[in-house]
Amino acid sequence: MTALNLMVTALSLGLYVALAGSYGLSYAIARLRGGGNLPRGPLIIYGLHGATAIFIVVWTPLQIGWKGLIVASSIAFLVLPPITWRFLEYTHETEVSG
Amino acid sequence: MYRSQQLALKYLTAAIALFGVMIIAGLLSACYYVHPDLLFGILHFNIAKILHIDTMIIWLLMGFMGAIYWFLPGEFGRELAGIKAAEILFYVFCVAVAVVAVVFIFVQYGGSDEAALWLINQGRKYVEAPRWAAISVVVVMAVFAYNVLGTAYAARKITGVTAVLMVDLIPLLALYLIAFPAISNMSVDLFWWWWLVHLWVEATWEVLIGCIMALTLMQLLGTSRRIVETWLYIEVALVLGTGILGLGHHYFWIGTPSYWLAIGGFFSALEPLPLLGMVVHAIYDAGTHRMKTTNQPAFYWMLAEAFGNFLGAGVWGFMITLPQINLYAHGTQWTVSHGHFAFWGAYACGVLSVVYLVLQKTRGLTHVDGALWKWSFAALNLGIVGMVGGLLVSGVAQAFVERAIGGSTHAAFIAGQENQWFVEGMVTRLVFGFVFAAGYVVLVWDMVTLGKRLPVPAKLQAAE
Repeated sequence: MTALNLMVTALSLGLYVALAGSYGLSYAIARLRGGGNLPRGPLIIYGLHGATAIFIVVWTPLQIGWKGLIVASSIAFLVLPPITWRFLEYTHETEVSG
Repeated sequence: MYRSQQLALKYLTAAIALFGVMIIAGLLSACYYVHPDLLFGILHFNIAKILHIDTMIIWLLMGFMGAIYWFLPGEFGRELAGIKAAEILFYVFCVAVAVVAVVFIFVQYGGSDEAALWLINQGRKYVEAPRWAAISVVVVMAVFAYNVLGTAYAARKITGVTAVLMVDLIPLLALYLIAFPAISNMSVDLFWWWWLVHLWVEATWEVLIGCIMALTLMQLLGTSRRIVETWLYIEVALVLGTGILGLGHHYFWIGTPSYWLAIGGFFSALEPLPLLGMVVHAIYDAGTHRMKTTNQPAFYWMLAEAFGNFLGAGVWGFMITLPQINLYAHGTQWTVSHGHFAFWGAYACGVLSVVYLVLQKTRGLTHVDGALWKWSFAALNLGIVGMVGGLLVSGVAQAFVERAIGGSTHAAFIAGQENQWFVEGMVTRLVFGFVFAAGYVVLVWDMVTLGKRLPVPAKLQAAE
């Protein structure tokens, strides 16, 4: 790994997780404001996250196993906020009705 | 008020005082990077750094203990078992901390003998306290464990939160025992030492703060027990699932087998996932309460915990956790940047939230708000972000110049230290350190005067 590769890879990994967090944050805010299951704003941010993942997979010198983990993590990041949100609603609704 | 809750107030007061000592020692340490000849021959850099790191651990530990002592009587509906011993040991703990600090400052180091280990410094990072003081910590923690377990037994009652807490006390106490052995093989020593440092911080402390936040949520937002306990179980499972084997990211370069590269990298890379769930949960809670509670500072510090944890542990950690990057980044200011942000987000914000909650209850305030807490909240968070940003720039410069280009030679180390980006990053850290310190001063002023300051209209009426 060259010095430049080191910086680009590390900062891309940081950006990758920061965009995943931004997606989760914007998803939760969109749902609070009454957005549907797939609000547009969060999907755009997730698109940027996905683009960062593609950049990491295609252009960084990480080993193949780590690249596979990046792809798998991206899928997990996509589904985690909706699942969490649904479970939050479920637990609070059953609390009220129960 | 229960005696346990009075003890909680003492612990929380001591925690906030030690938070101040930590900041002073941190500022001093930051000054050394800008002026390396500062206090030359009087107080060495390593002593300032030890004071900074050790007080960080102790103030958070005291904060956790204070929080538990505050909440437990409510959980069990009775005074804690062994409260007298706990009250005495609070003073023992404080005296031990003060004596150790005085020894560190005025004696600093001893010879290569048993006496130095027992009386001056054990020489192991994070657990430098001499053995007599480390034994005191063990006794304090043992009594703390008895307070929890004995009370549960006496009350014949266990809630979900207290069950998790009781299980967590076992590794919390057992892992600290690793502070004692003096192993001469450095790889073996580091192997076990990381159990203490990592598993305390990324396993037992995470569970402990999870329990504390669950109890805080019930009091602050009135969230039902069933909900917080359900989420506590999920959080504990996820944090332990990723955090325990995430230990492996400390085993990359200390002489352990190479399979730790895969184990450590894989489980560390999973750590942002539960943290993202916490962010979503925080937004849900904030939204359903429309950002309004009867205790605004406690609420905002709790939100800051979720976001700080994600940024510090998640984003900053992920940058450097994969072995190919970590090879260059470990031990640089990059990891220091990650450590500062993660500790702040994961623990400090939570303790501050609890302190505000306790102040509201003890001073009988129906509503806690105002300008002061907002100033301190802004300055402390701006300060930490600025410090972390400065350290990140310095760390990246080190990894780039010293490690990747220079190949970690001594000349490369010097080149890294003299690099303009490194120097300016350290100056930035110092400047924002003062912003952080200013935030602390306002925080303490707000906490001391909370409920004692009359609102402006009331003051006018009083004047008339």
